Amino acid sequence: MIRLGLRLAVSGGREAVVRLVIVAIAVGIGVGLLLTAVSAANAVNTQNDRYAWLDTSASSPSQTGSGGASAPLRLLLTTDEFGGQTIYRADVAATGPDSPVPPGIPQDPGPGQYYISPALSALLRNAPADELADRYPGHQTGLIGQAGLPSPDSLVIVVGRSAAQMSHLPGATEVTSFNTTPPGSNGGVNRGDGLGAKGLDLVLSVVALALLLPVLIFIGTATRLSAARREQRFAAMRLVGATPRQISLIAAVESAVAAAAGVAIGFGLFFVLRVPLAAIPFTSQPFFPAELSLSLPDILAVAVGVPAAAAVVARLALRRVNISPLGVTRRVTPAPPRAWRVLPLLAGLADLGFFAVHGEPASNSGQVLAFTTGFALIMIGLVIAGPWLTMTGARVLARRASRASTLIAARRLADDPRAAFRAVSGLVLALFIFTVAAALIATQDTKKVTPVDGATAGNTLIDQFLTITDGGSATGSAPPPPATVLTRLRKIPGVQGVVEFQADPGLTITNPQLQIQGFPAAVVSCAQLAGVPGLGRCPAGAAAAKVPASLTDIGGGNLAEFTWPAADVPARRLDSLPLASLDVATNGSQPAIEQARTVLENAYPAGTGSPQTLGEDTAAANGADNAFQQLADVVILTSLAIAGCTLAVSVAGGLADRKRPFSLLRLTGARLGMLRRVIVLESAVPLLAVAAVAIGTGFAASAMYATMEMRLSLVSPGAAYYILTSAGIVLALVLILATFPMLRRITGPETARTE
Amino acid sequence: MSAIIEARGVVKSFGQTPALRGACIAVGPGEIVAVMGPSGSGKSTLLHCLSGILVPDQGEAWFAGQRLDTLTETQRSEVRRDKFGFVFQSGQLVPELTAEENVALPLLLGGARRAAALAEARAWLGRLGLDGLGRRRSGELSGGQAQRVALARGMVGGPQVLFADEPTGSLDSVSGEMVMSLMTRAAREQGSTVILVTHDARVAAYADREVIVRDGTVGSLTGAAPSAGTAQSSEAAR
Repeated sequence: MIRLGLRLAVSGGREAVVRLVIVAIAVGIGVGLLLTAVSAANAVNTQNDRYAWLDTSASSPSQTGSGGASAPLRLLLTTDEFGGQTIYRADVAATGPDSPVPPGIPQDPGPGQYYISPALSALLRNAPADELADRYPGHQTGLIGQAGLPSPDSLVIVVGRSAAQMSHLPGATEVTSFNTTPPGSNGGVNRGDGLGAKGLDLVLSVVALALLLPVLIFIGTATRLSAARREQRFAAMRLVGATPRQISLIAAVESAVAAAAGVAIGFGLFFVLRVPLAAIPFTSQPFFPAELSLSLPDILAVAVGVPAAAAVVARLALRRVNISPLGVTRRVTPAPPRAWRVLPLLAGLADLGFFAVHGEPASNSGQVLAFTTGFALIMIGLVIAGPWLTMTGARVLARRASRASTLIAARRLADDPRAAFRAVSGLVLALFIFTVAAALIATQDTKKVTPVDGATAGNTLIDQFLTITDGGSATGSAPPPPATVLTRLRKIPGVQGVVEFQADPGLTITNPQLQIQGFPAAVVSCAQLAGVPGLGRCPAGAAAAKVPASLTDIGGGNLAEFTWPAADVPARRLDSLPLASLDVATNGSQPAIEQARTVLENAYPAGTGSPQTLGEDTAAANGADNAFQQLADVVILTSLAIAGCTLAVSVAGGLADRKRPFSLLRLTGARLGMLRRVIVLESAVPLLAVAAVAIGTGFAASAMYATMEMRLSLVSPGAAYYILTSAGIVLALVLILATFPMLRRITGPETARTE
Repeated sequence: MSAIIEARGVVKSFGQTPALRGACIAVGPGEIVAVMGPSGSGKSTLLHCLSGILVPDQGEAWFAGQRLDTLTETQRSEVRRDKFGFVFQSGQLVPELTAEENVALPLLLGGARRAAALAEARAWLGRLGLDGLGRRRSGELSGGQAQRVALARGMVGGPQVLFADEPTGSLDSVSGEMVMSLMTRAAREQGSTVILVTHDARVAAYADREVIVRDGTVGSLTGAAPSAGTAQSSEAAR
């Protein structure tokens, strides 16, 4: 029987071979997408893990673990910026031969040496030295390998120092090993790099669901191509005595052969496209191609699972034919779907609703389980409820039908709503996913940091020494800048002024417009402030003014319009106060900003962080959200593409299965236009009926998720969502229209003669 | 001589629609019986119940002293494969297989070796005047040729009973007569019983006996002398 099944699958004439090829290609595309999704999930995790060592501190969890070196490493990790990109900098000084070595380099660099990532090395070669290279003392001794880099585009440098030099760098610590806990993990140190483990687990769970279901539907649709024809064949075989078991085996072999060929194509597609795919910044950072990898269980699950699933699907699809060898001539109308089919959908909404009302589970895994269960139930529920909704819509349509095409389409839909819904199920899921993603991203955007207004303020580079603690108090300062530093800064073309914010402990400021009350204040010389009008002005006649001690921790507003309150600080005392921040107003050009940053970094090598413009600070605060949005965009586009493929394959397959009745209708005088209307109605009714439910459900699920997880009220997505949704539905209709040439060809008179 | 195949008070409905209402028929070995009747009278349903394709709602179907209607689906499939042959009006050839593979199919399903099955199939194609057409697929055959391939497939296993449901329904009169002539000749050569459903008197004329099905019951129409065994109408059946 296996041999007969193979014979039928691979050498059953041109039609059988064409069918095999189409199914294999369709399954191949599905498998390729599945492998990409799985490998991308692995790559996102690997990328996130690579940020771990950049989060090393004296209190990192793995410090106390086994394997710690006896000679500690003196370490200072800071971030730097160039052209809006973050540079991760590690200043290190080994205290012995077995001091820990950062991943990706063979040994700790000595004083005057540095290891550098390839991307930063290229940047150093191309950028003027006074904008970047002058920040790093010494010379390059080697490149940092993949193990030390989250992404091929990562800008990382490990600078070697002497122990004496390190002792002068405030913030330097001694470590005996590097952190291996990714950012955001329980107990981990999260500086905002990477995606954060909690968010990552949740997002990847939803992403896996969002991609997996459309892919599985697509594969299922592809393997059912020409199902009616196959059922005819099997019924004929049953007639001459093939047992149900023999037919099952033949069907399983046929489907498994096509699926196995598809799996091979899918793996081929994946490996061919892996390098270009890795370059796509799924998380706003590209991957190393090797990290788009598949584990052995992944490979086995797909290589064995897809053909096995195809065989099972084939077996299930043949139940009707197995009942009787007359399955062809005496086809029993399937029982209509019942109303219970909406229960899983309602259960999913109830799950999210329960947690929205009673609060989310305390544990991370509990939250993942609660949300994943809710969203999975809703997505599966949409697929289960779809046929019932289709049938309900079709019955309404049939009662009101006045044209032959409407009546035929409605009756056919009501007769077999499962088949009709199958064609649009992928698209309906894609619309649900799109709605959820768009609504949640729009909601997330509302809590983004509001940028400080005003071009001059946005282009002002701030080297901040004073930091605001969680309790709202001020800590830290720096000595006043040497005159040479101020001179060098002012000489840079594009620098418009330099202003020193002096720390004055105990001083506070309140300003409702900037959303601050009792906020730590600094004092600024009115003479200096006059040179930087973008940061506000002094009241007339004042010598010094009171300003917020940290401009990066206040709400939005156009600083240029502010008149700060006068500060009663004598000029002599002002000079003696330590520095809260040194602010350099620029014209916004990259050379001006980067040259000023280089000067500031060399003057204050161990500030609280790299000097940043207020514009860069805002962008960094919103950076993690951008990574999520990027991932959401990828999911939306991919699921829409899969759904489009499913619809096209399904409509074309449905046409091929019905070429005889359609050709007979044409022979009896039905016009092609009437058949076209039948095709459009058969797809449009379930599409529109269930799309409305999917979109409504998407908004409802998002609202509940936003309430419990984001603690925000749902915000309506922007116009882009509505335009894209409409475009998606129109595209679906266009895909249906694209089958019209096929309809004309396969319903010609010759079909009725030869079928 | 006892009947080789028999229906006893068979009742069969499709939903609310009754197709057979206590049909009885007994056919002896080697007999050729034409089952006639108007459209919708239940002729085909009777044939399907006799051949084990359908299971009666009530009543019994017997073959060679064995009750068919109590067998499992798999057992009935095996009986169809090993003991019965079928020739239907259309749609019974597997389009992906060549003519000779179609003929060999029952043998292959029964576990015969491929080479032997194909050799037997070619021999049958030759007997039915289809030499040289063995490698063609059903779409490349005329209606008469396809029907002769179906006949070859029905006969290749040496069936004890050949069921033919409107075997010439889609053929012109010349092709139809050729198919009927070949069928009856082959059946008589093999000693096979033939149950032939038709509403064409010219086709029925090839039979030894004609029965008529009307409103789901079987009645006697003519009583030509059977070539072998005993022919019984529903009245004669117990």
